[in-house]
Amino acid sequence: MIKNYVATLTSELFNLLQNNETVALSFHFEDSHFIRFNQSKVRQNTYIRQNEMAITFQKNLKEMNTVILLTLDFAQDLKKYQQVLTDFRKNIDRIDISPKFTAVKNNGHSELIKKVLRPDLEQILPWILNHFKNVDMAGFWCAGPVIKISVNSLGQFHYFEMDNFFFDYSVFDGDRASKGTYSAQTWDETHFNKNIQRTISKLQNLNKPRIQIKKGQYRSFLEPMAVAELLGTINWGGFSQAAYQQGNCGLKKLKNGDETLSSLLNLNENLSLGFSPAFNESGEIAPSILNVIKNGQLIELATSTASANEYHTESNFAESHESLRSLEVQPGRLSQEKSLETLGTGLYLSNLHYVNWSDLQNARLTGMTRYACYWVENSEIVGPIEDMRFDDSVYNLFGKNLSALTIEQELYPSTMTYQKRQLGATKVPGALIEDFNFTL
Amino acid sequence: MQLDIHHLLKKYQSAADFISFTLVHEKTRDLKVRNGTPADLNQFDDVGLRIELMVNGHMGYAGTCELTSEGIDHAIEQAKIATRAAANHAIFNFDPLKIRPKNLGSYQSQRQKKLDQISTAEIYDFLKYTSLKMKSEPLVITSNADCIVIECQHAYVNSNGAQINQDFNLVGLSFSATAEKSGETQNRTFHGNRAKCLQIGAEIFDLNQYLEICHGIAQEAVELLSAENCPNENCDLIIAPDQMYMQIHESIGHPLELDRILGDERNFAGWSFVQPEDFGKLQYGSPHLNVVFDPNVEHEFASYSYDETGNPAERKYLIRNGLLMNGLGGLESQIRSGLPGVANSRASSWNRPPIDRMANINLLGGDLSLDEMISKIERGVLMRANRSWSIDDYRRKFQFGCEYGKRIENGRLTKTLKNPNYRGITVPFWNNLAGLTGTNSIDIHGSPYCGKGEPSQVIRVGHASPYAWFKHVDVFGA
Repeated sequence: MIKNYVATLTSELFNLLQNNETVALSFHFEDSHFIRFNQSKVRQNTYIRQNEMAITFQKNLKEMNTVILLTLDFAQDLKKYQQVLTDFRKNIDRIDISPKFTAVKNNGHSELIKKVLRPDLEQILPWILNHFKNVDMAGFWCAGPVIKISVNSLGQFHYFEMDNFFFDYSVFDGDRASKGTYSAQTWDETHFNKNIQRTISKLQNLNKPRIQIKKGQYRSFLEPMAVAELLGTINWGGFSQAAYQQGNCGLKKLKNGDETLSSLLNLNENLSLGFSPAFNESGEIAPSILNVIKNGQLIELATSTASANEYHTESNFAESHESLRSLEVQPGRLSQEKSLETLGTGLYLSNLHYVNWSDLQNARLTGMTRYACYWVENSEIVGPIEDMRFDDSVYNLFGKNLSALTIEQELYPSTMTYQKRQLGATKVPGALIEDFNFTL
Repeated sequence: MQLDIHHLLKKYQSAADFISFTLVHEKTRDLKVRNGTPADLNQFDDVGLRIELMVNGHMGYAGTCELTSEGIDHAIEQAKIATRAAANHAIFNFDPLKIRPKNLGSYQSQRQKKLDQISTAEIYDFLKYTSLKMKSEPLVITSNADCIVIECQHAYVNSNGAQINQDFNLVGLSFSATAEKSGETQNRTFHGNRAKCLQIGAEIFDLNQYLEICHGIAQEAVELLSAENCPNENCDLIIAPDQMYMQIHESIGHPLELDRILGDERNFAGWSFVQPEDFGKLQYGSPHLNVVFDPNVEHEFASYSYDETGNPAERKYLIRNGLLMNGLGGLESQIRSGLPGVANSRASSWNRPPIDRMANINLLGGDLSLDEMISKIERGVLMRANRSWSIDDYRRKFQFGCEYGKRIENGRLTKTLKNPNYRGITVPFWNNLAGLTGTNSIDIHGSPYCGKGEPSQVIRVGHASPYAWFKHVDVFGA
């Protein structure tokens, strides 16, 4: 229904263009149910129907952009578009040509529809809550289809539809907590139960006297979720061509060859994980795998065609924000089962929190430990630690101090819902790191 | 806005035990000019309807941009299905009259010239010339001038009889210069990244005033290239208002949110070290510390007359003479917790439900001039403009980085310092507050990007502060 509406609407919209005007349209549709939980009860439930149409208007090598919301009433949507077109025409001659101007082009046609099998909302509520009758849970259920479409006045039409769901949750024993996430192509109650039991079982190890760690440097094992938290921040401009060229790239020294990372580190954008469309907002099809770091060497930055035009380099069809959409770190050789044994004495960290660049130019990150983090002696968990602040360089953490990566990788679909549901995923292993620097 | 929400109220009045409609129309121009040429010229014309409906004491929500009879029918039907299912497992049984009061009123941002009176092309020119001014400084490799210009109208009605219209004009101005020499890169901005956010009209785009400011920003970016690194030591610290806004936000605003204290946020942003029994008892800071929730400050970014449940917004002390007095929670959190709160149930837009948010949280002034404050310090550092921030999920252990520092030696400002940072623990830090500059030194900042909630929301916040002097702070450099 959406696809037909977009085809009909856009054909009408493109008829309104005058000579030397071009338009590209990028659509986001979502039909979402959200449920927020606290104390194993429902705090808020929200249903959302959100239809966005991002309009890129080009004339005489100049460009302006506007996002409008579609009502799916043809006459209303057409009227809104006409108002935007009038505004573009009024302003565009008075702006300058941008060095990153990228002319709209026809990047072809594609269609991919991915369905999941998931329970209805009325079924899922008792299923979830029955598991937490005796445990304090706070969490978030999100489900429903997201559709992305990229169309332009030169004939391009790409369509991606993905139904998905996730349950992101934490369980608490007082102020001690552990975290889990469940998402799948097909809802499987057995897997769901196991996921919850594994998360709840972590609370048992937390039920020991808390240990206050002094600031200093510790051999540390990071579970995949903690690794994902670090990489989430590094991906904030760290792999971006535009950020590099403009002096604001966290990995500038790596790119310049002034610093190195461990040869154990292989990092890709892997769109074949299937959690985001193969096309970007302009409809360009990126390679399904882009090698970004190979054996510790930064070999490619995420480069949009706009950056490629501005800085006279090759595009790899990144999104305009130039963050990796589906970041994957290749596995290593350490078995997760042997993580405690290999760690010996040190910190076992399940999660990190509020990671931010503390010194962008030197790739230093700060953040906190969170949830199930333990002090380990002679391969045995001694007890949970008081939360600690770290401040350390990427060139230490994933460079000279990276000892091992696990064989097992964990896949985390994006749970971000700022403004609208974000697609994408992260797939990473756990990591053993020497001398992780804790400061407070 | 053509949709008649009064008509909707009549039509759907009996659809649930309580129902409300909020029509949000927000037009945003988000424009960025780099090195004198267009970087991003984006607009967002956002219109949608939020519906609240109550079933058996549980409030459910729907949001739709399909503002047609079919679209609204569908949203209400989906909300009813979900809310009926959820009501059997609800965390609290609310009385709609107590959480959605019957109030009638309106609000309009202070402005001399409405924002719809300035064209995108005129704003572009302003950004182009300010950007070029910064770029004209030798060694500046990148100069960005950007702004968000927002015209936002909220119309709210509910089945208890409330009718509220609020009309906001908002501008966030941002300038940054990145300078580079011999592998060293430094960045200086106009009070931090998009921290100069105000409710104001088009009169803010005064080119001559900002050309001078931009010249200063570029000069300081270059100055930092040859500055010394901030030392690593425990010393006195003066924090300028353009870093204090972040300090207040992270270590006072968030921990006092009642929904955090109640645990709603535990799976995402975190809990709080503040316990319900701390109100009226906890000495949060030294006697110099007086903090208010104040939604009535002219031009401050998060001023309003009513929150999004129709609760009238009034100034209230959160901390008085260092003692914790009140939390930041709307009517639902106040009833759930039994604690006093404020009118701060707010949503990022029509597509998210209201939750406890900060709005304007302001630190009141003291009795020192900045010169007097500096003269009292034998050895310390002054820091300006936030560039890095992080705090734990209970809001205890923080670390902040700033753009620009000055050494204080024997009561005088001496050399410029690059990469100044500090870290601390919330309650001991605020108890080491040794003095504040006077009311006339207070500067207003804010942010459009305070993140919280599931589904996630960014909200606009405002923070006004004088210069603040802290003893015994761990400062450090790169």
